Amino acid sequence: MLVGIPLETKQNQAIKPKDCAEEMSSYLALVAEARCKISFAKVFGFFAPRLRSYALKQIGNEALAMELVQDTMSNVWQKAHLFNAEKGSPSTWIFTIARNIRFDMLRKQQNRKEDICSDDLWPVLCEQTADANEVSLDEQITLEQVGNLFDELPQKQRVVIEAIYVEGKSQQEVADELEIPLGTVKSRTRLALQRLKEMLKDHD
Amino acid sequence: MISLHPTQQQLHDFVEGNSAPAMALVISAHVDMCTQCQMQVAAMQEQASELAFKGEDDSPDFSSMLAGITQLPAAERIISEPVKAEIELDGRSFSLPRPLRRYVSKTGNWSHLLGKLWQAPVDLGPIGKANFIYMEKGGKVPEHTHRGNELTLVVDGEFSDGIANYDSGDFITMDGSNKHTPYSEADEGCLVFTIVDQPLHFTSGVARLLNPFSHLFFK
Repeated sequence: MLVGIPLETKQNQAIKPKDCAEEMSSYLALVAEARCKISFAKVFGFFAPRLRSYALKQIGNEALAMELVQDTMSNVWQKAHLFNAEKGSPSTWIFTIARNIRFDMLRKQQNRKEDICSDDLWPVLCEQTADANEVSLDEQITLEQVGNLFDELPQKQRVVIEAIYVEGKSQQEVADELEIPLGTVKSRTRLALQRLKEMLKDHD
Repeated sequence: MISLHPTQQQLHDFVEGNSAPAMALVISAHVDMCTQCQMQVAAMQEQASELAFKGEDDSPDFSSMLAGITQLPAAERIISEPVKAEIELDGRSFSLPRPLRRYVSKTGNWSHLLGKLWQAPVDLGPIGKANFIYMEKGGKVPEHTHRGNELTLVVDGEFSDGIANYDSGDFITMDGSNKHTPYSEADEGCLVFTIVDQPLHFTSGVARLLNPFSHLFFK
């Protein structure tokens, strides 16, 4: 039961995180060893309001800010055993958890959470799961293949492509040189590229 | 010897969680290989946390949140499935920095690009087009420039590009103002991980032929 556990936020306001690092470390140890709710309430009372201020500045949305506080402090409660005082202060640990959750929240908002995951970037809570998703292989071609396919182009298209992509000439220059209309150069280029693309597709 | 690191600003953004995802990935892989940057990141995280938590505004009542959280069970200690830590090519295996290991299962087959150059595409989704590129000794990428930005981490070995020499762990950024011709003279060759946000633009000789298809190459 939590009745009677004081939330000592008011007295805490002036205290800097590093001033109470040792105290907070010992509370976290008690949470990890004994699931001590009183110790957790001390940690929570100090960090939850500070987290909210940080989250509001970062996200600018009250509901999301409270979600960040909730998720961060839930992790602190549930994974206190992963805190290692030798690696850093409680404040740094909690900051990194919040930073990771915020990063994933932003990715999720963009529906892109799957691409990249904060645990990979910053192994704060070190509980990665292997992702064995099979992926389709990308199309692959080699320069030799392009060269061979290139030889199969009709002579007129090949001349245009060679002038533009190998010699680096502009379409206008090619048109002047070959004494053909610019539109013809454009259409030959387009047809040749289209054809090469089709050949590449067939090649697979 | 690592001589190229992210800038202070890039590291700072990374620590704050504000880097673009592709940048964050390459920085984290670099940091995994670089003790100097590990120390910097640790120091920056400490500073950032002091700053972030230096005070509080008027806060709502948190007591129901506290009560809710303490009803949650402790997390089970999950023994994570081992993630493959190496990438293989031609019977050789290369150990990868931890942040890249997740992508081994998302890496396609190696394909012979040109001469002594190999490439394996990595599916990062919309973050950017990523590849492992392996240059055998004497392998050379045709001279090119970049329409967008290119981030490269040297995973194993050494290479040069006509601008500088790069060693394992080096963090390299390139953009449209850089034109270079990477090649490796190292006996062991060189494996790099690279992310580009736009296809390369080849600038010389027959390699220009590749331009219309460069999206198929350095994806």
